[in-house]
Amino acid sequence: MKMMDKKKIIEDGILEQYILGELHPSDERYIEQLLASDPELKQHFDTLEADFETLGLENAVVPPPMVKNELLSRATALKSEGVKQPTASKASRFKFYFAVAASFSALFLATSIWLYSQLNKLESDVKMVETEKQDLKKELNQLSESYDTTAKLYATLSHPDTKQYVLEGNTLMPQGKVISFVNHDLKSVVINTERLPELDEAHNYQMWADVEGEMIDMGVIDTSQSLVAMNYIDASESLNITIEPRGGSEHPTVERLVTNVYL
Amino acid sequence: MQDDSTLISRLQQRDEQALSALYDKYSGAIYGVILKMTKDETRAKDLLQETFITVWEKSYQYDPKKGRFYTWVYRIAKNKVLNFLRKPVKLIQTDDFSVYKQKEAPISFEAEHLELKGALTTLKEHHKTAIEMVYFKGLTHREAHEEMGVPLGTFKSYVRQALKELRASYGKMMLLIMFLIIYGI
Repeated sequence: MKMMDKKKIIEDGILEQYILGELHPSDERYIEQLLASDPELKQHFDTLEADFETLGLENAVVPPPMVKNELLSRATALKSEGVKQPTASKASRFKFYFAVAASFSALFLATSIWLYSQLNKLESDVKMVETEKQDLKKELNQLSESYDTTAKLYATLSHPDTKQYVLEGNTLMPQGKVISFVNHDLKSVVINTERLPELDEAHNYQMWADVEGEMIDMGVIDTSQSLVAMNYIDASESLNITIEPRGGSEHPTVERLVTNVYL
Repeated sequence: MQDDSTLISRLQQRDEQALSALYDKYSGAIYGVILKMTKDETRAKDLLQETFITVWEKSYQYDPKKGRFYTWVYRIAKNKVLNFLRKPVKLIQTDDFSVYKQKEAPISFEAEHLELKGALTTLKEHHKTAIEMVYFKGLTHREAHEEMGVPLGTFKSYVRQALKELRASYGKMMLLIMFLIIYGI
């Protein structure tokens, strides 16, 4: 509806059409706004409405009582069904829907935070499991290495052709001795280090094979193990042990020979 | 006119007694309108009941700032009747493929329901007809002016004039009533 002045609205019967419900809803809203802001027009409108009502009441026809009885029993039934929330004003319904929406948002937010924390926890769990797995793998490798070593040692020790030689300590090592097990078929040498006296941090025992007058390195003896495999050297005539600076030497320090045995 | 605001707010609180009281007050006027529009008592009774069921169910939609309670109920009733009248006639197909209008209970209607009463009867014929068309037959201003065969502007002035005369008549009535109240005893 175009902007209309008061006079035009009154002369065009717009208010009558409004009361009779003939106007388009958008025009109705326009008229409602006008009426709310113009007391004079509102007064004119009130008079018209009152007249229409009087007109209706003057032409009233009393309906049969049955209609009222049915109406009231239906009304009671509808009320007890609680189909509608009639007293809820628009504002309070809005509040209600807003509250519902807000609750869902809050719930959603809480759930998200919880899920996020769970995700973080899972990630750290996965990392922990990964680390544990690595540790276990390392341990397994060590175990299987140790098993291989032990199996080799055992193979040497249990072999029927293995020969046992005892290296008694000389005057430099009167209390000490080393048991050696030599197998020429397996080409292996295993020694028992239990009776080797402990050395200071700066020194190791080192084993040598004598091949035609030449001392060949068989390795530094790891005294932390009781049974140690040494390098097998072909055509060895004797086994010799010297005390060497930590880490071993290329040539034996003959002055510090502690024990030897001829094969 | 007694103030309805207490009854209406009780109605909006789903108070059946308020519904009952408002029904007593307005059902006659609304029934009069429905009867004149439908010219069918059986339908009119149903439509009156449906109107007040809607009043009961949608009472929260009524806003006193926008107008009188009676106007609100009148518009609900008018919409229900117009929707009913606009429904297509039910047709029944018979065995020989011809189509008949569905047989319904014979329409009962007393002609006196169509008679206009009160101050309206004192108006000039064309003023009375104009009011009757828009108020009791549910025609729009546009439909009514065509029905009467006069230009829309003329028709609008008929309505306005008719209401002016009614107003004057009601004003006299009010003066008379007040006179009786003040000096009656």
